[in-house]
Amino acid sequence: MTTLISSLRTTLAGYINYRGREGHYSFLLHRLTGLGTLLFLAIHIVDTATVYWIPELYDHAIAIYRLPIFLVGEIGLVFAVIYHGVNGLRIIYQDMVNPASWTIARQRRAARWTLILSVIIWLPAALIMLNTLLAHL
Amino acid sequence: MEVTLRVFRYNTETGRTKPSFDSWTLTDVDPTDRVLDLLEFVKGYHDGTLSFRRSCAHGVCGSDAMRINGRNYLACKVLVRDLNSTTITVEPIMGLKVMKDLIVDMEPFFESYRSVLPYMINDEVPADGKERLQSEAQRERFDDTTKCILCAACTTSCPSFWGDGKYVGPATIVNAHRFIFDSRDQAAGERLEILNEQGGVWRCRTAFNCTEACPREIHITQAIAEVKQAINTGKVD
Ligand code: HEM
Ligand code: SF4
Ligand code: FES
Repeated sequence: MTTLISSLRTTLAGYINYRGREGHYSFLLHRLTGLGTLLFLAIHIVDTATVYWIPELYDHAIAIYRLPIFLVGEIGLVFAVIYHGVNGLRIIYQDMVNPASWTIARQRRAARWTLILSVIIWLPAALIMLNTLLAHL
Repeated sequence: MEVTLRVFRYNTETGRTKPSFDSWTLTDVDPTDRVLDLLEFVKGYHDGTLSFRRSCAHGVCGSDAMRINGRNYLACKVLVRDLNSTTITVEPIMGLKVMKDLIVDMEPFFESYRSVLPYMINDEVPADGKERLQSEAQRERFDDTTKCILCAACTTSCPSFWGDGKYVGPATIVNAHRFIFDSRDQAAGERLEILNEQGGVWRCRTAFNCTEACPREIHITQAIAEVKQAINTGKVD
């Protein structure tokens, strides 16, 4: 138990304090977006299940999803899924298809392009969703 | 130039049982001084109780891996000017127990190293009764991973290792790679089996801190990927 807590403390301190380069941040973002997406899916499965078990609650849940704060969250969720997917493909390519691409120069470049590409894919969707959000206000 | 040197302190013998920092202002620092020179200067002229490991002072023995301004380096290899800062903070490497100031308990690191049989295994008598010949290409295959000096800069920069000390860590995989891909060795299968276990290569999340930290510029993440591939295909070539 004490080793669990001390390794958790080391882990969080390392995530925040270790001055890693591109790889460190893409690892963090991948983990954060993966866990974030998982959290959303878990909640979404529960609220969708209410349509069968407690229909009154379902309408209430859907109303909550229409709140502006949740619409903003959804825009973030779309980014999370896109980044996680694009970065996941980068990792699969580098690690399984072409291990020789794990040089410092190529890895840094790949990690940067992954972020840029994700934003490019995300922007159109984000703009459309932002439009809907503003129409709701 | 003037440099502020901040050093992590922890020493049960002098009653400093609460981790804290000491700081010295050094006025006569040369940009080409190494961080190790600053530590030696402080130990020699300001505080003889300051404890850290060093032996060769030339990047060969692997004793003095430390976290300097947040990143792992060998103190004997990093120059003050490379840090682009007049404040230099020196802390112990992470994930191993601090024993005194910058000295950590390296035993778990070496225990992990020993677990992958890091030595040549071949009980057959060579064809000519004398030596095991190897082509240039066969020798080149594992050349990169022969360069490791076991400094632990890689393993202690790895998020997976921080989270779980049972992960064998990048240095161990590098040293397993050294023998797995050596045509003269016969125990690749055994090592791959060990590295396919729970604390083995699959803990690697390709965060790449190891490769960035290695003072020998070993392509660590690539070596780990090659071991993963060998496990998946059952082939070493
Ligand atoms: C949308 C549902 C998904 C969820 C909830 C999810 C969740 C996760 C989580 C929690 C991790 C662990 C991260 C870590 O340990 O640091 C992970 C890792 C990973 N995911 Fe996903 N993921 C999803 C979709 C995808 C997709 C679409 C891809 C690729 C096309 C992908 C590729 C990967 C890869 C390659 C890893 C391993 C990362 C590494 O070893 O560095 N994931 N995912
Ligand atoms: S692989 Fe590099 S960083 Fe890791 S122990 Fe060996 S020399 Fe040090
Ligand atoms: S003191 Fe030997 S490697 Fe730095």
